[in-house]
Amino acid sequence: MLNFAPTQEQEEIRQLAQSLAMEQVRPQGRSAEQQGDISPALMKTLTQTGLTTPFPEEYGGSGVVEAVTYTLIAEELGFGDGALAMNIIGSLMGPLTVLLAGDKSQQQHYITPFSDASRGHLQRGSLGFAERTGGYYVTEISATIRTEGEQYILNGSKRDVIHGGQSSPRVVLVRLEGTSGTGGLCALMVPLDIAGARVSLDEGKLGLIAAPSAAYTFENAPVSATCMLGQPGGSGVLRAAALYNILRAGVACGTARAALDYAMDYARGRIAFGRPIVSYQGIAFMVAEMAMKLDAARLLTWRAATSWDRGTGCETLVQEGEAAQYQAIKIAKSATIDAIQILGGAGFIQDHPAEMWMRNAAAME
Amino acid sequence: MIDFTLSELQQAARDYAHQVALEEMRPISLECDRTEKIPDSFMWNMQRRFWAGAAGQARTQAQEGEEKQDNILSILSQEEMAWGDAALSTAIPGPGLAAPPILSQGTPEQQAKFLGPYMDGQLHWGALALTEPGIGSDVAGMSTTAVLEGDEWVLNGHKHYITNGARSDLVVTFATIDKSLGREGIRPFVVPRGTPGFVVGRIEEKMGLRASQTAELIFENCRIPKDHLLSGRESSKKAGFKAAMGTLDATRPMVGALAVGIARAAHEKTCQWVQEELPKGFSVYKRREIELELDEMGQELEMARFLVWRAAWMADRRIPNSKEASMCKAYAGGLVMKVTSAGVRISAPGENSESRQFLQKWFRDAKVFDIFEGTAQIQRLVIARRLFPEVDIP
Repeated sequence: MLNFAPTQEQEEIRQLAQSLAMEQVRPQGRSAEQQGDISPALMKTLTQTGLTTPFPEEYGGSGVVEAVTYTLIAEELGFGDGALAMNIIGSLMGPLTVLLAGDKSQQQHYITPFSDASRGHLQRGSLGFAERTGGYYVTEISATIRTEGEQYILNGSKRDVIHGGQSSPRVVLVRLEGTSGTGGLCALMVPLDIAGARVSLDEGKLGLIAAPSAAYTFENAPVSATCMLGQPGGSGVLRAAALYNILRAGVACGTARAALDYAMDYARGRIAFGRPIVSYQGIAFMVAEMAMKLDAARLLTWRAATSWDRGTGCETLVQEGEAAQYQAIKIAKSATIDAIQILGGAGFIQDHPAEMWMRNAAAME
Repeated sequence: MIDFTLSELQQAARDYAHQVALEEMRPISLECDRTEKIPDSFMWNMQRRFWAGAAGQARTQAQEGEEKQDNILSILSQEEMAWGDAALSTAIPGPGLAAPPILSQGTPEQQAKFLGPYMDGQLHWGALALTEPGIGSDVAGMSTTAVLEGDEWVLNGHKHYITNGARSDLVVTFATIDKSLGREGIRPFVVPRGTPGFVVGRIEEKMGLRASQTAELIFENCRIPKDHLLSGRESSKKAGFKAAMGTLDATRPMVGALAVGIARAAHEKTCQWVQEELPKGFSVYKRREIELELDEMGQELEMARFLVWRAAWMADRRIPNSKEASMCKAYAGGLVMKVTSAGVRISAPGENSESRQFLQKWFRDAKVFDIFEGTAQIQRLVIARRLFPEVDIP
């Protein structure tokens, strides 16, 4: 039955995430960009709240991940700072993919360290999805594995893997040779000190600088069969891929909302020709357009998240996640660009975060 | 809990309307558009389908349920019927746009008196008269007047662009009781057909929605009983204006739903055309480019639908929804133009097949969805005013 209101519990979690985003995340956006990473202190604070440990309690987590709830959290984190939100989500997708696709012993081994009270906040995971030849679409994944004796031979590339240089587990999405579409998708944990694997840390990025990333190239790289998470071609891998896109969409909605909110404050206070600039329809209509498109993209994202929670078929789910991230990033890009326009000259200056958010949004694709 | 799935009742309402659209509307759609006429048989079929049997039962069930959901049920069926034919959907017998102001502003006695006759199994329509030759979106500048003389209100003025205006049994007419009060002087009056001084003027010829009747109404010393002023909530001075605006908060999602229905029809037809009729010799790249464009419009169609669903859901829960109603109307109104014009463009190289005639008709039908119930610009103004309640945005 149609309903557009989060539950009481979800609303409380959202509010907690929002206050952390405003009080802790937003103020550190600029310094994190200078550092090129999230500060351990901030990560520790977030870990202590349980927001960044959506794992089963048996692995020390705060409760198994639900897509709607976590989408709400992702939006709030993105509202704080898009790059830091992607830093957090990017890391989380490592253990979450193990949770969704892996077996019990893999889960026990790779997830538990993230919940550790004293050192959990120092753990980083990663999920390599997009490649040099495509975007965040399962059908565009062309990295392949083939079986050879007791191991797999891996070929292909990955780009923009957040924490890709320093993560454990380091998961990449690949497909069984000869498969296409959503068939034959696998999640493989890849050590990088193997023959045929090359890692290059991304430097001089346009945006998402506070989410350090790397690119991989694999040429006939041998990977042990024990690195396969669960069964090749299992539905857990597709659910992980869909979840990443849904959460990326959530972060993008948050980024768009931050830009909208910031531009609204500015347009309210800035006086031109004796009136607040928002009293001119040229500005007012821009703001209305941003708000409308953001709501549209958020609803598309929520729909994908509810499908994930309901266990909708993977084919549909993957498509819904891809549509959500595409539309949400589209509004994140246009809203951040429009926010700068509303700020005028001030938007171009780094005293205001709008320019950073614009670069972040553009780097999400 | 956030949920995008339909309940059994909601799904049933949607399926039922889809069946009606498929069986009753599509087959006569092009012909009615060409002749600007609707056969009586259609009217009677609609009367039977919507005011008796399964539809009647669905209505009763909706009222018995714990949560009010008339708006949701209405928009679900509006989308389906506009998928069939938006012009025909406006002609379905019933109180139509007259119902929201009677329900929101009428006393229980007035509701029974004015809406009761619609249940008698005969053909009846209702209309809402707001727009005048001199005013469109700026309803506060209305010039139709109502003066109380003894036990009667005397109406004078001129309304136009009134849907079903010439066939309605009653018209809820907005008029000012005191021009110096501006918007606060506006009141809703129920004017029955046949009242002396109430005359139907010309029937407009339009670019689209041609089968829908759009009439000019003239009031010349038109006298109606005192109790035809909808006065259930007269305590507030702004009651009349609020009724007019409140009506829009309920009807904008419906107009949005109609726009989504046309856009969906055009999107489906275009996808089908590309699959079946795209001339041989189109390069793989050109075909892929078209497919990508259609994919993206498919996503936008879903977003438009969700915006409509949300606005209607809020209306059912009595959560103030002006902003959301305007968002869904603005988004869907823009989208239907985009999708239908893409359909005409994409199918341009084809034979003059029935698919193309439908696409061209929907393109003509679509334009008004960016205009009526408040233009695209007015919707943005409403959204901005809600976002900045403390700023005067003229």
